[in-house]
Amino acid sequence: MEAFFQALAVLLTPAHLIYLIGGVVLGLGVGILPGLGGIVGMTILLPVIYGMDIHNAFALLIGMVAVIPTSDTFPSVMMGIPGSSASQATIMDGYPLARKGEAARALGAAFTASLIGGLYGAFVLTLIIPIARPLVLAFGSPELFMLALLGMSMVGVLSGNQPIKGIIGAGIGLMLGAMGDAPAIAEYRYTFGFDYLMDGVSLVIVGLGLFAFPEIIDLLIKGRPISERAELGRGWLDGLKDTLRHKWIVLRCATIGVIVGFIPGLGGSVVDWIAYGHVIQTSKDRERFGQGDIRGVIAPESANNAKEGGGLIPTFLFGIPGSGSMAVFLGGLLILGIQPGPTMLTEDLDLVYTAIWSLALANIFGAGLSLLLAKPITKLTLVPFSRLAPFMVLIITFAAYQASYSWGDLIALLLVGILGWFMKQFGWPRPAALIGFVLAGNLEQYLFISVQRYGFDWLTRPGVLVMAVIIVASLWASIAYQKKLKTAGRTATQK
Amino acid sequence: MRRLWTMKNLFSLFLLAWFAYGIWEARGYGYLAKIFPFYVSFVLFVLMAVHIVMEIVRSVRRSGDGSGTAGGADLSVDWDMPMAEVYAAFLVYVGIIIGVYISIYLIGYPLALTLFIFLFYRFMASAGWLASLIAGAAGLGFMAVASHVLGMSWPEGLIVLPWPLG
Repeated sequence: MEAFFQALAVLLTPAHLIYLIGGVVLGLGVGILPGLGGIVGMTILLPVIYGMDIHNAFALLIGMVAVIPTSDTFPSVMMGIPGSSASQATIMDGYPLARKGEAARALGAAFTASLIGGLYGAFVLTLIIPIARPLVLAFGSPELFMLALLGMSMVGVLSGNQPIKGIIGAGIGLMLGAMGDAPAIAEYRYTFGFDYLMDGVSLVIVGLGLFAFPEIIDLLIKGRPISERAELGRGWLDGLKDTLRHKWIVLRCATIGVIVGFIPGLGGSVVDWIAYGHVIQTSKDRERFGQGDIRGVIAPESANNAKEGGGLIPTFLFGIPGSGSMAVFLGGLLILGIQPGPTMLTEDLDLVYTAIWSLALANIFGAGLSLLLAKPITKLTLVPFSRLAPFMVLIITFAAYQASYSWGDLIALLLVGILGWFMKQFGWPRPAALIGFVLAGNLEQYLFISVQRYGFDWLTRPGVLVMAVIIVASLWASIAYQKKLKTAGRTATQK
Repeated sequence: MRRLWTMKNLFSLFLLAWFAYGIWEARGYGYLAKIFPFYVSFVLFVLMAVHIVMEIVRSVRRSGDGSGTAGGADLSVDWDMPMAEVYAAFLVYVGIIIGVYISIYLIGYPLALTLFIFLFYRFMASAGWLASLIAGAAGLGFMAVASHVLGMSWPEGLIVLPWPLG
C-alpha cells in the first residue's frame, strides 16, 4: 500500500507530468501516421531515455504507448486505413460514419470509449498485482523459460497468416538476437568478422528496421496523402453520449481487452476484431453493423486501450511481452537497468504502480488532447506522405546512430530494413520477430541457468510439465481459433 | 517452372540459407555458446524446409487445376500496380538512402540530411523552392536541438565543417 501512494506522489511531480504529456503528444503524432504505431514511436524514444531518471523515462514511454490506440483512430475513421493494427475493426463502422458526415460523432465516441477502456485496464492491473504476487514469486528459471517459450509460440501462431510462418518469424528474431556475445561465456557469435556485431544488433535498429523502414518505403511507393478530406462534421457530444448510453458494451469490451492483452501473442492485431465480433454476436439488430453503427466504433476502441493495461501484466511480472510495442517497452526497461520478472514485485513495486498511475493519467490526457486537437490533427492527415518521408528518414537514421555511435548502426538499419520490407511483402510476421529478438537473451539465460542448476531434471519439474501441456494445448487451440477468426473476418468484410 | 522462381520463393530460400549458415557456424562454438543458436537454427531450418515444400506443392496444385493466381496476388500487401514497378520503386528508394549514406560519409550528417530534405522536397515531392528551403532548415534545426538538448551525436564526414553543419 505504501508503494501505491509513493507512486502517486511521484506521478504528481511537475517533471513526471511534463514527460508524460510529452509522451502523449508524441504518441498522438505517431498514431495518425498509418502503419507506424507504438513500436516505431517507442523505438525512437529508446535512445532518448538513456541515462534519464527512471520515473521520467517511464512517463515518456507509457504516455506514448497509452495514447496510440486513441490517436490511431483518426486515419481509421477519416480514410479507412488503420493507424495501427489495433484499430482495424474501427474502420468497419467508423469510416461509413465519416462518409455520412458524422466523423466527429465517431471520433467523440471513440475517444470516450478509449478513455474508459484505458482507465479500466489500469484499474484491473492495480487489482491483479497483489493477487498475482505469491504465484509469480514461485516461478524459477525453468518455469520462466517455459513461459517465454509459451509466449513465443503463441505470438508466432497468432500473428501470422500461417502458423508455420509465425513460428519461423519468431525464430528470425531469435537468430538476430543470438548475434554478438554469448550470455553464458565470453564467445562471439555470427559476427561475420565485424567488430560492430560483437555487441549484437541493438533493439533500436531491429525495431526501426523491421517496422519504420518498410512503412516509409511502402507509403512513398503508394505516394498518396494520408487522408483525402478533412471534414469532421458535427456530433462530438452525440458521440460522447452514445458511449455513455452503451456503457455495458464498453465494460464488456474493456474486459475482453484486458484478457486478450494479458495473453502473450494475442495483442493488438486481434483484440479489436474479437470485441467487434462480440458486439455483433450480442446485438439483435446485426444488419446495421458495417453501415455506420456507432456500437461498431465503441466496441473495438474500448478494447484496444484496455489491452495495454492487460499487456503490462506479463511484461512486468514475467518479462514476457505480449505484443510488439510491449517488446520495445521491455527493451526500454532493460536500458533503464530494470530487470522485469518476479523481482519487480519485491524490489521495484513502486515502479509498477508508477506505471499504472501513468497509464491511467496518460489515457485522460490522450483522450482530452485528441478532442481538443482534432481539427489540426485532421488537417495534418492531408499532408502528402512524400513531404513527411524525408523527416522520417532523418529521425530514424538519427535514432539508429544513437545505438552505438557507429557507422555499423546505419548499415545495420538499412540491412534489417530491407529484411523487414521483404518480410512485410511476403507475410512473415514482424511483431513475432521483434518479440523473438527481445526474448532471445532471456530465453538463453533461463535455459542456461536451468541446465546448470538442475541438469536435465528441470524438465520434470511440475511447473515445467504444466507449462508444456499449456503450450501444446494453446498451440492447438490457437490454430483452431485462428481458422474461426479468419472465417468471421471474411464474413464481416463481405458484408 | 518459372512460377517457382518468384521473389517470394527466393526470399524463402534466402531464409533457408541463413538458417543453414546458422547451424554450420554454430558447430564451431564452445558448448555453452553453441546450444542455443545451434538448436534454434536447426529447428528453423527444418521448419523452413517443410514450409518451402508445402509452398511448392501448393503452387504445383494451383497451376495444375488452373486456379493459379497472377504473380504477386498472394502477397500480404495490396498494391494497385504491377509488382515489377513496386520492386523498381523499392530499388530507387533504397538507392536514394544509399546515396544519402555516401553523402553523410563525405560531408557529414547535418549537411547531408539538410541537402537530402531540400532536394527530396524540390524534386521528389514537387514542392516550391521556398518550401524546400524551409523544410531543409527545419531539418537542420531539429538536428541542432536534438544534439544539444538531448545530448545526441551524429556521424562526421571526411570534410569536417563548422557547427551546425559538421
